[in-house]
Amino acid sequence: MSDPIPTLVRPAIAVTGLAKSFGPVTALAGIDLTIGEGTLAALLGPNGAGKTTLVRILATLIRPDAGQARVLGFDVVTDAAQVRARIGLTGQYAGLDEAMTGRDNLLLIGQLAGLRHRQAAARAADLAEQFGLHGAAARLVRTYSGGMRRRLDLAASLMTRPPVLVLDEPTSGLDPASRQQLWAVLAQLRAGGTTMLLTTQYLEEADRFADIVHVLQHGVLIASGTVAQLKRRVAGSVVEIRLQDPQTAPAAGQVVAARLSLPAGAVRADTATGRLTVTVRADSSGADDLLAAAAALRDDSIGIADISLRQPSLDETFLALTAPAGIPA
Amino acid sequence: MTGSTAAVARWPGRDSALIAARQLRVLRLNPGRLIYPLVQPVVLLVLFVSVLGNLSVAHDAAAGAYRQFLIPGIFLQNAALTAPSTGLGILRDAASGLADRFRSLPMSRSAVLVGRLAGDAVVFAVQAILLLAVASVLGFRMRTGLPGMAATVLVTVSFGIAIAVVSAWLALLIGDAEAAERVLFFPAIAITFLSSAFAPAGELAGWIRPIARVNPVSAGADLVRSLAAGGPAAGPLILLGCWLAALVLIPGMLAVRRWRSPT
Repeated sequence: MSDPIPTLVRPAIAVTGLAKSFGPVTALAGIDLTIGEGTLAALLGPNGAGKTTLVRILATLIRPDAGQARVLGFDVVTDAAQVRARIGLTGQYAGLDEAMTGRDNLLLIGQLAGLRHRQAAARAADLAEQFGLHGAAARLVRTYSGGMRRRLDLAASLMTRPPVLVLDEPTSGLDPASRQQLWAVLAQLRAGGTTMLLTTQYLEEADRFADIVHVLQHGVLIASGTVAQLKRRVAGSVVEIRLQDPQTAPAAGQVVAARLSLPAGAVRADTATGRLTVTVRADSSGADDLLAAAAALRDDSIGIADISLRQPSLDETFLALTAPAGIPA
Repeated sequence: MTGSTAAVARWPGRDSALIAARQLRVLRLNPGRLIYPLVQPVVLLVLFVSVLGNLSVAHDAAAGAYRQFLIPGIFLQNAALTAPSTGLGILRDAASGLADRFRSLPMSRSAVLVGRLAGDAVVFAVQAILLLAVASVLGFRMRTGLPGMAATVLVTVSFGIAIAVVSAWLALLIGDAEAAERVLFFPAIAITFLSSAFAPAGELAGWIRPIARVNPVSAGADLVRSLAAGGPAAGPLILLGCWLAALVLIPGMLAVRRWRSPT
């Protein structure tokens, strides 16, 4: 399934054959995944792909039905206490008490994680400073903005400096400025050697910050690699054609798909704009495909207003990875 | 690697104390949350005593005898009505993601329940002292004096905690805060009416009598009545003790197991 990623460092997270179902719904259908120490890995996938399930298994919140997951060598089921001592969790819902101050939350979580009061107080002050929450630390969390909550939640996960951090959609619902701030903090952590696994629905985000991207769909790991590798592997160039008569788009789409031997899902036809978007095979030359598509349309007397060749966008790469064959994405 | 901070030796007591302290911290920062557990019982006590306090249940009873009978029943009723907040608080944590945070920490897992109950015990105690003070203004007489009052606080707190344990277990079973809110209050109301809280067991409808005789609310109310009158207390004390042991141990263990078990 996954590309063999050369792992030069020992794995911080090692998952083999991991499966989990909730009643009739299969959340994870047997995945293998290795994340080296100090790596920032992004887990990418559409809603319902199984991302949160994987995160919750790693954080010892739920047990897998089959397979194994180890964090720094400790099994999440049989050595759960050891795993909890080494992993920090930032869930989709902030794990904070809104009726207490930011500082109270950090102190409580730090002490429950094993710090003495004095250590926890010093660490809380440092983190509040580092996360730009210093002025707000004495305020009730209820009064915090979404971005501040996220940062406080992350700070809470970092009270004991866990060597492994799992984050479930840490940037969802954040405005661009808060997102940038959060990423700056994650970059700092990576520089400090923390291993991180974060889930996201934004390939662009994964592209900019993660060392490696794992793409999950329907509980199966369908691709792993850097974004550049994924682009090369799954989606070739994109031929974009604007038709003279928008009404001819569906017919034109079929003609092009047939000539280039592409599945129907690789060609998107828009009758409103008369635009065909053709994602050609990763292993073929985009220019040849452009000429072949133009020839096919001319043979069928379908008029072309404009035709061009470009690299796939990140969204197109993501859709190409996760779209079921045959259904236009 | 920055090196993770080694966990200090952990014992459930420390984690429970931290959770209990959190409960009290929240009440200090949000005094509005004390309105329900403190103001409502006082209002209920005053209303019940004003409306029913002058009834003569027995024909030969002295004036105010029913008031003396009713007030201990209201102490127990208030404890039962406060107890569901324990279960609801647990579900509030679950909904916010805080429960997941606690479960992912290397902390004692029974501490979340034990600590919450300890924090709630403080609320029950403050409630009981306040009610005793208001009750004496309303004419309630405690013949055994200060020790009797202390014993009354102990009885209502331990009864409240026992019901709170049950509410925690039921809340974890139900899982949904909105549903739990409806479900948890009903049994709390029902057990006070199926008891000798408001009328002697002998005066109740025939089918209620056997229930009322073994009801922990009856045992608690009768115990406080005995303390107030300086009468024999062994019977209700034994019945209440059995109930408290059973309610704390069985639903308590089930609740901790439910909290602990990852699905």
